[in-house]
Amino acid sequence: MNRHPLVEARALTVRFGGLTAVDAVSAAFAPGELVGIIGPNGAGKTTFFNALSGVVAPTSGELFALGEPLAGAAPHRFAEHGIARTFQTPRVFASLSVAANVGFGLRFAGRRRPVPALLRDEASILALLGLEAQAALPAAAITPSQQRLLEIGMALATRPRVLLLDEVAAGLVEREIEAIARLAHRLRDELDLTVIWIEHAVTTLLRQVERVIVLHEGRKIADGTPAEVVRNPEVVEAYLGDEMAEPA
Amino acid sequence: MMRRDLVILAVLAAAALALPYVASEFVVSLALSCLMYAALASSWASFCGSTRYLSLATAAFFGIGAYTSALTLGTLPWLAAIGLGAAIAAAVAVVMGAAVLHLRGTYFAVLTFGMTELIRHSIAYFEKQVTGTVGRVLTVVPERDTIYLTVLGLAVAAVLAAIFIRPSRFGLAMAGIGADEQRAETLGVDTRVVKIAGFAFTAAFAGAVGAAMSVRWTYIDPATVFNPFIGFQTVLIALIGGAATLWGPLLAAVVFSLLAETLRLQMPQVYMMSLGLLLILSVLYLPGGLASIRWRRA
Repeated sequence: MNRHPLVEARALTVRFGGLTAVDAVSAAFAPGELVGIIGPNGAGKTTFFNALSGVVAPTSGELFALGEPLAGAAPHRFAEHGIARTFQTPRVFASLSVAANVGFGLRFAGRRRPVPALLRDEASILALLGLEAQAALPAAAITPSQQRLLEIGMALATRPRVLLLDEVAAGLVEREIEAIARLAHRLRDELDLTVIWIEHAVTTLLRQVERVIVLHEGRKIADGTPAEVVRNPEVVEAYLGDEMAEPA
Repeated sequence: MMRRDLVILAVLAAAALALPYVASEFVVSLALSCLMYAALASSWASFCGSTRYLSLATAAFFGIGAYTSALTLGTLPWLAAIGLGAAIAAAVAVVMGAAVLHLRGTYFAVLTFGMTELIRHSIAYFEKQVTGTVGRVLTVVPERDTIYLTVLGLAVAAVLAAIFIRPSRFGLAMAGIGADEQRAETLGVDTRVVKIAGFAFTAAFAGAVGAAMSVRWTYIDPATVFNPFIGFQTVLIALIGGAATLWGPLLAAVVFSLLAETLRLQMPQVYMMSLGLLLILSVLYLPGGLASIRWRRA
């Protein structure tokens, strides 16, 4: 199997005035990986995602999608290269129907990309998310947890190779989080999709992913399996503390 | 839905087409004014209403079109002069758009207004210093019916374009920009290209309308054809009618042109006051515009 990195960041740095939000982070992601990113508040997780999806231009460092440099490009170029993301607060098009929200991505970034059966059209994507019954409703009329699923569906509609999930589990109950995790595994297994998942609820995330990157004050302080990471003294000191003293 | 809109448009166009044969001079001149604002407000709303980029530059494109036809009508045929007015206005919009379309909200609105004033004063200066005139008298003027038919054609084209743009990818991209520009970008919309194209589309219509209307005045100067009031009135009509709707701008254009013509002669202040009052009322109580009333009931 092709194991060249799908996405690679080299010494990626994002500064806002005097604040360094992301500090020389290097990381490579292979096809079919399920990776978690954790870190305390203000660790630079979302800013890292913003840079990976082109929403924020890095101050310095490089970004590659299958070897092609993308640092400084507009977000639509990232989408065309198969990098899709969700936002922490769902940003669905409130006045459009649920189906039309999914259709949006299909008609833009998804238009010129390979078409897997799972992501063939609005109906197949909504079926994946269990939102078939809501297809005709305006996106403003569905529940917040359904909007979170729709947010994932909008990203999937771009038919990505990499899916960046930004705290999709926040505010969801355990059963709903399990459903999203099952979906992530299924997309990985069937489409070889790479899923990179930020979550504040560390214990939940560690159960679902095979690799964890820990950010602290903008720097990457650990990168390994969940078992390795929870034993890393720097990680324990920086962030986990008692919460991870007894891993599951 | 689209079929229904096309039928309504065909009926309205046929009625407007028959008007010069049956109505008085005064009514036709009133209708011309309705059609002018229908074309301006509908094309303005196609871009500004969906993307929520509030452009005050309509007067700039209108004036550019007016000057183009004033300068070329002696040498170019009528429709070529109108086409050239549209093309030059669109070209200016591409340059202007590339410079200011990364700004949003108030900044964008104020800058488009500033650029309109800049163009107006540049032309006034150029005329005074280089050509030694303050205005221009148009000697080659087509018949009244030609002007009427042209502006009618432009109004129909503006609504027709709106009908077809709305469900298209271009229309969806503009709606996405209006709802959440960054989200639209992450879903693959090249927002920069879409915004510049939309702005140029609006400008082309304003330029064509300006080119067609200049001959009606027989004498033009920068103060008349770059009158910021043309830009403001276009925005007000579109907002009061419902900038995000298809028929709102057209509806409001008719209401306001009638109101303007009847009130302006006797009580000009009353007209401006009622315009302001209606804008306040519509922003407060009808943010979707006049055309949104029927949707609430449905």
